[in-house]
Amino acid sequence: MNDLEPVDALDIELRVNGSAVRRRVPVRRLLSDLLRDDLSLTGTHVGCEHGVCGACTVLLDGQPIRSCLQLAVTADGCEVTTVEGITPADGSLSPLQAAFRDAHGLQCGFCTPGFLMTLVAADPAEHPTDGSIDALLSGNLCRCTGYQNIRTAVRRAWGRDDEGNASAGSDTPLGSGTSSGSGAS
Amino acid sequence: MSGGAATAGLVADPRPRREDPRLLTGQGSYVADVRLPGMLEAAFVRSPLAHARIRAVDTDAARAAPGVIAVLTGADLSDVEPFPDLRERTRPVRQRALCIDRVRYVGAPLAVVVAEDRYLAEDAAELVDADLEELPVVADMDAALAPGAPLLYDDWPDDRIVATAPVDPELDAIFETHQVVRGTYRMQRHTAMPMETRGVVATVERGRLLVWTSTQVPHVVRTVIARTLGLPEHRIRVVAGDVGGGFGSKLHVYPEEVVIPALAWRLRRPVRWIEDRREHFLASSHARHQRHDLEAAVDERGDIVAVRGDLVCDVGSGEILPPGVAPAFVSAGSITGPYRFPRSQARLTCVVTNKTPSGAYRGFGTPEIVFALERLLERVARETGQDPVELRRRHLIRPEDLPYETPNGRRIDSGSHLEAFERAVAWAETTRERLAPTARGSIGVGYANYIEGVSPNYHATSGLWAQQETSTLRIEPDGTVVVASGLGPMGQGTETMLATLASQLLGVPHDQVEVRLGDTDLSPYGLGSFGSRSTVVAAGAVQLAAGRLLDKVRTIAGHLLEASATDIELVDGRARVVGSPDRSVGLAEVAHLAYFRTFDLPPGTEPGLEATGAYEQPGVDHRPNAQGKLNICLTYANSTHACVVDVDRATGVVRLLAHLAVHDAGLLLNPQVVDGQIMGGVAQGIGGALYEQLLHDADGQPLVTSFMDYLVPGAPEVPELTIDHLSTPSTTTPFGLKGAGEAGATGVPAAIANAVCDALRDTGIDITQTPITPSSIRAALRATPDPTTTEGS
Repeated sequence: MNDLEPVDALDIELRVNGSAVRRRVPVRRLLSDLLRDDLSLTGTHVGCEHGVCGACTVLLDGQPIRSCLQLAVTADGCEVTTVEGITPADGSLSPLQAAFRDAHGLQCGFCTPGFLMTLVAADPAEHPTDGSIDALLSGNLCRCTGYQNIRTAVRRAWGRDDEGNASAGSDTPLGSGTSSGSGAS
Repeated sequence: MSGGAATAGLVADPRPRREDPRLLTGQGSYVADVRLPGMLEAAFVRSPLAHARIRAVDTDAARAAPGVIAVLTGADLSDVEPFPDLRERTRPVRQRALCIDRVRYVGAPLAVVVAEDRYLAEDAAELVDADLEELPVVADMDAALAPGAPLLYDDWPDDRIVATAPVDPELDAIFETHQVVRGTYRMQRHTAMPMETRGVVATVERGRLLVWTSTQVPHVVRTVIARTLGLPEHRIRVVAGDVGGGFGSKLHVYPEEVVIPALAWRLRRPVRWIEDRREHFLASSHARHQRHDLEAAVDERGDIVAVRGDLVCDVGSGEILPPGVAPAFVSAGSITGPYRFPRSQARLTCVVTNKTPSGAYRGFGTPEIVFALERLLERVARETGQDPVELRRRHLIRPEDLPYETPNGRRIDSGSHLEAFERAVAWAETTRERLAPTARGSIGVGYANYIEGVSPNYHATSGLWAQQETSTLRIEPDGTVVVASGLGPMGQGTETMLATLASQLLGVPHDQVEVRLGDTDLSPYGLGSFGSRSTVVAAGAVQLAAGRLLDKVRTIAGHLLEASATDIELVDGRARVVGSPDRSVGLAEVAHLAYFRTFDLPPGTEPGLEATGAYEQPGVDHRPNAQGKLNICLTYANSTHACVVDVDRATGVVRLLAHLAVHDAGLLLNPQVVDGQIMGGVAQGIGGALYEQLLHDADGQPLVTSFMDYLVPGAPEVPELTIDHLSTPSTTTPFGLKGAGEAGATGVPAAIANAVCDALRDTGIDITQTPITPSSIRAALRATPDPTTTEGS
């Protein structure tokens, strides 16, 4: 059958952040390379190329996937959403993005789009506790923040109180898991 | 707060970072995001052997592969000069950008393939056939120290890249006449592992090399490119856009930062190379691989009167600039920590082995020695029948001791060493009672006290660059302010910090300030970001520049307002007469004279509104004095960490239940950012203490080359951290600032090890190495008599 003959490239059609994309794509090309190099959507970052770090997370038909492990041709007919697609059209920040900024939930920013894409696909009701937030985030690595401020950002974005959900170490004489000193002299 | 009056001081400004909107919306610009018309992509061929002589490298098949533009070997780049060996008293390695006759670690660059895209380049790289003659492998520090060890460098007498052997008969006499407590402590090879790997893009633009690279030191990279390629510095522009983490690994200058520019120069086409994660494990710096034999001499009162150490650091092949020996010198120089031990001595040996070169990682030698010293203190307490808390309390630097010079010459100007510890003890006692052990678990508490050098003299590390940092301030014709600096941020919020400095020190609103960073064409020569220095040295430089610029603004505004220049102040971007705030002009009006109506300037006033300040930090030594003492840093922040752990006695699993960092970094310019630095450092410390290690087999083959095996902590592994700030200003720095970039990582391995041993104290377990894995705990428990099978605490 012709369909089983090896081919170097295939024509694919997909929607990326709501726009139609038609491309002839080498069959071995990664979705992450299609997004970054062919479509100039460089907000999706590639951190490990073996599916562990989660920096390349995008939504495929609404589900978070590792774009570094997905061949672009397998996204044929799908809807892909990247960090550019969850940003308000006027360039402002979505409530989730604003919560990351306000809680200092990012430093170098390289892993951040992956965290955001994992979170936009999540149902807060399925993650009612800090422990379940940690489990949700455990597929994304961050080397800068130590996750604490990411956790805070998620709580705030999901309408939760910093204190109400604080965990071990929070009700000590020295404060609530954040700075307790004056900071100024 | 926005702007405010220019005053002699700085105040905390806890605003969100200006970097964040672009990073949160996918609009950042990392090196892998650079895409140029006609750009080619490179893939490196790396040595599969740890030690071999290169007989030949056959590139014919690769050259003939589809899409290949060029294949170059070390021989093809023999006109590229070796990396300079700049550091005194460190044996030269003459590092080549591509190896020519010898490979000394798995991953050493043998050849580079340039093709139409990366897929084709990687295909062709597989076709390069290197004929390698295997040489005996030096796999670890013991092998390197053994008599008759195979040599990595044929012209060296042995594999010691550095060996210091201080002689102090008086100290030896002390050890002969006192009770001596000794231990051997090891820290494993692990490293920074930023989420963004390295990468380089180079092109030739109007006869100049334009190089993008993910680095903490853009100007230093430029200098190394100039020296190796033989180009004048002014024909090279190095740009570091957004950098996705560095933590020390990107303060080194790497072979690819020379090879990719050389390719672009030869081919006259843009070339991009993005390191993949496996390459990062092989070709980016490793760190922390040290063994310390430590001894304490204790008098009849139980006081420690001297410590001495024999420190060995395995620096891998040594082919890295600046050399990887520097952190080990910091370990040796920090042997007394924040404790008043009257005498000390450290012998340091750094050996080369057939592994990836090691180098800088957050803490820079301090976590290693803090782990060893804090474990030794526990052993001293046990062997002399003392309470370890009381032992620490009695020896910590007290306020009345300050300023205090350590036996190694560190001049500690300020701090809250004892108070930080007391606060940690109070926290730990309360927290221990509040937390319940798991079913098979026992709870333990551990402490670590330390100081962290701030703003080190880079000369001691690099052998060339010393410590200056420069900033330029310019007021544009519309009254906006541009501040340019040679710092090399990697995610710490440096842009926001510089805007805050310029805003407060000039007296203009924050959003009126624009920041230029990471571009050697736009910034004055700077040494980049490392050593917890950025805020401190930037404050020094901006203060000087702002003072000069303000003088000019006052002169012109005074002229416009018919007032004396000395009566003019700049507040919220308006120059006004002191005491008559109604009489004022905006900066745009001042700039209008300076740039346009120059004929209206006061007589003798030069047009333009720009000033540069270059800050050279005082009181820092460039080399040891006759007694071997060296004050290597501008100031020293202090910190105490305490943690509470639960140890499962059946599985050996350690759960970190609570962790406290009492931290004294003086004035916190942006407290939220400082907290973020500490939190991130602690997470890295947890990784080093419990999870991360770079293992090699006896042939020098790396066993850990992916995140499947190298366990960077995830969210579930990092508990909520409690941070308690003390705020003792430095007496030596601008505005009393102290750095905070590194300290979070430093105390964690020691505190966790102490807590684990406390939890299992009934067994007599004595942890002497990291990582503290479940199997290592089970092995230690099997090796020690187990007096009880019930929960220990």
